[in-house]
Amino acid sequence: MQAPTLGTDAIDANAAAPLRAGSRSKLGEVWRLFVASRYGLVGLILLILVIIPAIFAAQLAPNADPFEIGAKPFLRPGEAGHPLGTDHLGRDVLSMVLYGARLSLMVGLVAAGIAAVIGVAVGSVSGYFGGWLDVILSRITDMFLIIPTFFLIIIVVATLGNGILYVMVVIGLTSWPGNARLMRAQVLTIRERTFVQGLNALGEGRFRILTRHVIPNSIQPVIANSTLLIAAGVLTEAALSFLGLGDANKASWGRMIYEGRTSILTAWWPSVFPGIAMIITVMAFYLIGDGLSYVLTPKTRRAGE
Amino acid sequence: MGSYIGRQLLTIIPTVLLSIVVNFALLHAAPGDPARIYAGMDTATEEQIAAMRHDLGLDQPLPVQFVNYVKEIAKGNLGNSLAFRQPVRDLILDRMPATLLLTMTSAVIAFGGGTLLGAVAARKQNAATDLGLSFLSYTFFSIPAFWLGLILILVFASGLGWFPTSGMRNVRADYTGWRDWLDVAHHMVLPALTLILVQMPIFYRITRSSVAQQQREDYVTTFRATGIPEPRIFRRYALRNAILPTVTVFGLNLGYVVTGAALVEIIFAWPGIGRLALDAVFRRDYPLLLGIYLMLAVAVSLAILLTDVVYAMLDPRIRLR
Repeated sequence: MQAPTLGTDAIDANAAAPLRAGSRSKLGEVWRLFVASRYGLVGLILLILVIIPAIFAAQLAPNADPFEIGAKPFLRPGEAGHPLGTDHLGRDVLSMVLYGARLSLMVGLVAAGIAAVIGVAVGSVSGYFGGWLDVILSRITDMFLIIPTFFLIIIVVATLGNGILYVMVVIGLTSWPGNARLMRAQVLTIRERTFVQGLNALGEGRFRILTRHVIPNSIQPVIANSTLLIAAGVLTEAALSFLGLGDANKASWGRMIYEGRTSILTAWWPSVFPGIAMIITVMAFYLIGDGLSYVLTPKTRRAGE
Repeated sequence: MGSYIGRQLLTIIPTVLLSIVVNFALLHAAPGDPARIYAGMDTATEEQIAAMRHDLGLDQPLPVQFVNYVKEIAKGNLGNSLAFRQPVRDLILDRMPATLLLTMTSAVIAFGGGTLLGAVAARKQNAATDLGLSFLSYTFFSIPAFWLGLILILVFASGLGWFPTSGMRNVRADYTGWRDWLDVAHHMVLPALTLILVQMPIFYRITRSSVAQQQREDYVTTFRATGIPEPRIFRRYALRNAILPTVTVFGLNLGYVVTGAALVEIIFAWPGIGRLALDAVFRRDYPLLLGIYLMLAVAVSLAILLTDVVYAMLDPRIRLR
């Protein structure tokens, strides 16, 4: 909802420059800086706290089937072998939170992946070839930036169907414009670099230069932005599920909150725990995104230390 | 300045048109026949459904329906709601004040508070205040608004009983005048607080990073060298330059907050556009849905246009570019 704008602006403000080449080990350098940024490290730790339980959901969950209906509704956390209690249908809250993590991560990753592919394609073609192609693509990008996306997503999902695939694709299709803008700005500067000019002079094909050299050298801001888009995707899926528009066949944090909402005054746990899980997940990706953009912007790095 | 606004309008008009086309196509591609729904799902005969379809204009070819729709919009007529049997325009205008009151109040307070805290944090980076504020900002930025709303109800409405759980007015008491205003304000505290808390980090972050960036600019170094006192440099120069990006974000955010507020309106049963929009979605009320979407697209575009103009007024470099 409100999230995607922030990420793009925060990074846009200091459009990233490529890392210094020729350092002993580029990856090692990135890692050192990422850890030094503190934000990135904290984010990574939080993310591991979410990913490990998500992977081992089947082993960790008290109920193998998160939808398994129990005999006793609204057991308090800790009662009768349910560490986080049970909901109004007697389902185990911990199991649902664990399986919900899988869904949230999947939606976030797939949606951000789609947005990255479209954003990189549109932005790099627009920046590299310029001319009328640039004018048209930039206009389209601007249009998609202005359209109220969340409402559009609601309409699409409500009318065309709310299978999980639809949800992921629609979120991806509406969140690429930020990537396209970052990519275009980056390609505009890389295109003028000596090594690209050199390749031109050598007679290398333009499309080949674009895919082999320009894109790999200008993709860093999109990577940083993608972590923010993952977070935004997680929030959007939760919001859709909260409105009853998510996939009803999957355990989802948003849906848990939606179902727990009516009884929140008597039993808080079915809706509070998925909320906390969501905050940790979203925060992890925001922190990692900030850590990455810190690594990728030498200017702020020097002054910040 | 006139030509500047003109150029901006050139982007906005096609955008609004595009969003109408997209929505129109989408709604008509959707499964579910509104004529059947409104004639009565099970009891209606084929003749009744056909009559209903004719009444609603749904028997016309799609392009004709579209042209008719755009013509009516130009006249200021958004059509009639299928579900409410009222003009869409009246329905929207009826709900508009509640949404505007809630979103504007929260946006302005969040803007002021977030900017102020961001500036405070940036003055002494990595001090305890900065770290504490940044932690809070990350936390609230990661909280989904609808969940925060529920928690606030749980704690402050049902737990402590300080505020009502939902609604905009106390329906049992028929207040008038200032007593009515007070009642509305009392009902608005929790929904507004929810929106303020989730929006503040946006302004906090952008202000913090842009103030920090300004303080490293060459002109600040020059001022320092000439002996201008630090607080004066900060207030008169660095802060003023740093506010510019915040203004842009305020405008962009204004557009999104209307949609974002929809979920919060639902939680608190606040009688605004958000609720209306969801009703329209679930009841397949095409004209109402299109009307609300159109209104949103126009509102977002205008907010962005207004921001650009304010920005150009504040920063002559943009205008002259």
